Amino acid sequence: MFALVDCNNFYVACERLFAPHLEGLPVGVMSNNDGCVVARSEECKALGIPMGIPTHKIAPNLRRQITLCSSNYALYGDLSARVQVVLGALVPGLDPYSIDECFLDLRGMPGDLEALGRELVMSVAREVGLPVSVGIAPTRTLAKLANRHAKRQPIQPQVCVWHGAKAPELEALLRTLPLAGIWGIGERLQARLAGQGIVTAIALRDAPQDWLQQRFSVVVARTSQELRGTSCLPSQELDTPRRSILCSRSFGKPLGDLRQIRAALRHRCQRAGEKLRRNDLQATALGVFLRTSPFRDTPQGPSSAWGELPFASADTLLLNRLAQALVTRVWQPGMAYHKLGVMLGDLSPRRHSQPSLFDGSDSSRQERLMATWDSIRQRFGHEALTLGVQAAHAEWQMQSQRRSPRYTTRWQELPRVVSR
Amino acid sequence: MREISPQRRGASGFPSPADDYLEAPLDLHRHLVPHPASTFFMQVEGNDQAQAGFHDGDLLVVDRSLTAQPGHWVIAIIEGTLCLQRLEGTGRHQWLCPADPRRPRLPLEADRDCRLWGVVSHVVHDFRHPIRET
Repeated sequence: MFALVDCNNFYVACERLFAPHLEGLPVGVMSNNDGCVVARSEECKALGIPMGIPTHKIAPNLRRQITLCSSNYALYGDLSARVQVVLGALVPGLDPYSIDECFLDLRGMPGDLEALGRELVMSVAREVGLPVSVGIAPTRTLAKLANRHAKRQPIQPQVCVWHGAKAPELEALLRTLPLAGIWGIGERLQARLAGQGIVTAIALRDAPQDWLQQRFSVVVARTSQELRGTSCLPSQELDTPRRSILCSRSFGKPLGDLRQIRAALRHRCQRAGEKLRRNDLQATALGVFLRTSPFRDTPQGPSSAWGELPFASADTLLLNRLAQALVTRVWQPGMAYHKLGVMLGDLSPRRHSQPSLFDGSDSSRQERLMATWDSIRQRFGHEALTLGVQAAHAEWQMQSQRRSPRYTTRWQELPRVVSR
Repeated sequence: MREISPQRRGASGFPSPADDYLEAPLDLHRHLVPHPASTFFMQVEGNDQAQAGFHDGDLLVVDRSLTAQPGHWVIAIIEGTLCLQRLEGTGRHQWLCPADPRRPRLPLEADRDCRLWGVVSHVVHDFRHPIRET
């Protein structure tokens, strides 16, 4: 069994943790030089503010009702790492998936899964102060659906457990669920499947495996198997390219040396950049995580760190520079790491690029460089051109006029308390 | 003393006898922050609670994983603001006590306007800085 733990409206919840007066009010978080809204509170959604709306397109009368914050990745990244520590203390097999989601491998966990789900929710709420929802099911794909189902329940805590792939709720959900609601099925693939008469999740589940594999891909066939309850997709295959990208792999043998980890990190960044460009996307946020074996070392500090790119970009060099700066925050001497991952967040379509006037870079040159990069690697193989060693220090500045204080990572910006 | 990591143990898996004589320096952070994931630092604003030892600018160590007991100093949310208060009472009858004894005690969790955020475990005061007068 697998669990997917998702922080509800994560960025907004982080803002509210130290600014409780924002509770119950419509709150939005902006990203990409404050250019668009990337996170909304429930109250903000109820006002009809769509995801990703350019800030200047919000009607003035609505704009007056909403509190808009600039994104504060120092805060979100720190709280995300805390959530992982709390979850990791309850379940050993933890796989971060994005800044606000992680998978837990519950295979071999004894006891009542409903009770475990409730414990996960309560522990994060008490210890970190953030609301999470939990979906538990036989496969990662189904756990994601269970999580979505849990979120729509009015009951607290938001936990949904499907013990098998034949749960009646699940059957009813799959009957109506469009394919785009399933992990790993993008818009293009959805259209191709529809062309073959596969429109709902249940049709995909019941399609013949051999046919799916021949006609589409191994991943589509495996997704179908996952819907039947057979776990066969690792978390890195479960991309939702519209929201987040994950490039993570285990090392061949445990690694402790920072130089070797940096080399592996360059490799992950190259893959992440290629994935972005293949999907015609650019990222604003980047996270790096290092995982030790859950049964051996327990590092004291956080296992992941997040940062913000100076502007939304799909430039491998830029991703790598930020990633190399972040890895020093999570790496600790004396640890044997067995997995390294790069996560990209706040993705937007590449054509709406908004290069900063002040970053000093020539974005069309960067784009040509990346196009050349991809074609060389495609033609001559992935070893033909790789990133070399780079200086890891860079100042990351970006327009964020309404950013909240970095409450947990700067002494000068601690939350202030009064007595009364 | 730091925990001995598995790689530092001998091949047999037993700690080396020499480890018994290795002393690590005292780590104040680990002493004050036994639960890093649930511990947050905050800063006192104002001298209203100076009699209790909280001065303007003092650093508070706030641990959310602790269960608040009567007499504990806590961070509470009162009307949307993070406040430093002392907790009194038990079970369903708990109150937050304001600095000014003339002001009424506030019942906890009576509504969403008054609830606990975390428990203050330590206060760090810097003696070099003169305390701002209120």
